Amino acid sequence: MSRGDRSLRVDWPACRARGLCYELLPEAVLLDDWGYPRVIEDPIPADLLADAREAVRVCPTLALRLVPAKR
Amino acid sequence: MSILLPLPGGRTVEVAAGLALLAGLDDGPGLGPHVARHGELPRVSAEQLAALAASVNVRGRGGAGFPFARKVAGAVESGRRRVVVVNISEGEPASLKDATLARVAPHLVLDGAVLTARALRTRTVHLVLPGDQPSVVSAIERALAERASAPGLRADGVSWTLHEARPRFVAGQSAAVLELMAGRPNLPVTSWQPATESGHRGRPTLVSNAETYAHVARVALLGPDVVPLSATSEEAGTTLLTLDGDARNSRVLEVPLGTPWVRVLSPDELTSPVLLGGYHGTWASAGALLDRLVCRTDLSAHGLTLGAGVVLPLTEGCPVDRTRRLVSYLASESAGRCGPCVNGLPALAAAMEALHVHGELARGTGDPRTEVLRLADLVDRRGACAHPDGTARLARSLLSAFPDEVEAHLRGRCDFDRSGVRRWEVPA
Amino acid sequence: MIPDGPLLWYVNRSTGLVLILLLTTGILLGVWSTRGDAGTRVPRFAVQSLHRNVGLLSLLLLVIHVVSAVLDEFVDIRWWQAVVPADLHYEAGWLAAGIVASDLIVAVALTSIVRHRLSHRGWLLLHLTSYAAWVVALAHGLGIGTDTGSGWARWTYATSGVLVTGAVVWRLIARPERPTAPVTPAAVHHDRIGGLR
Repeated sequence: MSRGDRSLRVDWPACRARGLCYELLPEAVLLDDWGYPRVIEDPIPADLLADAREAVRVCPTLALRLVPAKR
Repeated sequence: MSILLPLPGGRTVEVAAGLALLAGLDDGPGLGPHVARHGELPRVSAEQLAALAASVNVRGRGGAGFPFARKVAGAVESGRRRVVVVNISEGEPASLKDATLARVAPHLVLDGAVLTARALRTRTVHLVLPGDQPSVVSAIERALAERASAPGLRADGVSWTLHEARPRFVAGQSAAVLELMAGRPNLPVTSWQPATESGHRGRPTLVSNAETYAHVARVALLGPDVVPLSATSEEAGTTLLTLDGDARNSRVLEVPLGTPWVRVLSPDELTSPVLLGGYHGTWASAGALLDRLVCRTDLSAHGLTLGAGVVLPLTEGCPVDRTRRLVSYLASESAGRCGPCVNGLPALAAAMEALHVHGELARGTGDPRTEVLRLADLVDRRGACAHPDGTARLARSLLSAFPDEVEAHLRGRCDFDRSGVRRWEVPA
Repeated sequence: MIPDGPLLWYVNRSTGLVLILLLTTGILLGVWSTRGDAGTRVPRFAVQSLHRNVGLLSLLLLVIHVVSAVLDEFVDIRWWQAVVPADLHYEAGWLAAGIVASDLIVAVALTSIVRHRLSHRGWLLLHLTSYAAWVVALAHGLGIGTDTGSGWARWTYATSGVLVTGAVVWRLIARPERPTAPVTPAAVHHDRIGGLR
């Protein structure tokens, strides 16, 4: 599994805990006690990137983004 | 010498003269004495300013400690029409140093802002003032009026825009400041790029707090040689500390970096626990500061933080009690914008209450400590600003610095009550 | 070759009635998709997907509905009047309502297709006009519809009205938008200065 160069970041004021990101990408997103996403901080592996982009596209409040990963 | 300044609500702050920023305390805040002491304002380029700041390692005094030279470089790289912002609204109620500086040495702060604006080749300077401290607002307005009417002493050539920040804990955060300047509510938003790349109206924006600009001004006006070197060569110069900032009577003092804490605090304070770094800081247990220095690197090597220089000795009372009240306060100061913070901090406060209420462990109702740690991990770094991070840090710090006191509480006992003072045992 | 006779009229009537059902379903799905319980029996992404598809189908049927009305020679509606409610001859008031509703529906659908290029707030404000569009569309159907008098049509309108009203009430009352203001634990009250010495 190759290490990608993008990671997921949540725009917290926009997030409304709708949970679609968790449904589409359970390998990288868990939900906390109140339904908000716990997103892995590491870069998204290359084989999950397509699902990650879908999760970003599907978020009803546009609260998820793929950003350049921190070194 | 020292002077006593009144604060709202009948409180006072005693300001002691210092070696650098507070050297001219006796002169008063006027423009004439300031110019007599510091001279003309030099014209420096951005490269020169960055070099000056780097030579004495000027780091932001707002808590994050970001090197000022890097901010200058970042703003220069990012484009032309730059913006300079001076944050004089401290947000943290126990921090009084920026407000004090604005009242006793406003021209040092304003000089720093003008120098930076000229170096960045911009005329746009914004001042963010604490809305709940009219004395600070009037001190700055008076200083600006002085400068405007004495072009022989200071011909600034910048346009000043004043803003008044709301009296909320998170209002002093960088993104919140930019929001205020944009005419939106003074609360944090997610920042996708650093302010130096894209800040106010998408322009490269340099935000720093009042004390940082004052240090920059002093170095530029008097040269790097006047900056006292410290025992560690890491950081040179002085820093402002606020002692007992949320008590009725507080103190602001200027301390050379690298000074041992034994020269700053009283024996009583040194042998008590000290909350260092403010409400988002960490606890130094009783006696922990005896061998430490007022120095970022020395403190962080021992798990402590200087933050924005807020020092809160706990000479009486119980640290468990103090911390649970602070966490409760911090929970109520959430901006209410981010789910993990809005939900997590009150849950953390409730867990701290369970920790404080006597006898949870004795009753066999479970260990609140695991819940505190779990919630602290849950809220950490899951918000638009560092408010949940700082609150988590405080909660964890209680557990790691005072395991015995916490255990005592869980078994139904507190060795401190409000009326008596239990003397701490300091490890030999 | 434009069909003669009542075929266009039947196409127009039938698409109109189906649109009522589709628009109502669209609103119900839209409201349902604001629930936050992810991963339960019906996944959130499935509801969102259905909502989107019903919306697109509505758009398609709307286009057929409008085109069939313009092409039909029995009523005098010009192409430009499909978008602008002016200088109308046939049932001016009810027709204008239909034109306004269709403008809104098209705007909502198009902005949703390019949702990612817009600010969320801007998109949302426009999207909320769907409720108004639904009301105006139903008024259009009731007023201008050839079949309004018949029992099953009335039943359709009534059921749609009840369902959407119920959904709106539920949305307003049972689902306050998160996050809400923080609740301070009851134990301790603080003023601005925490710590209380």
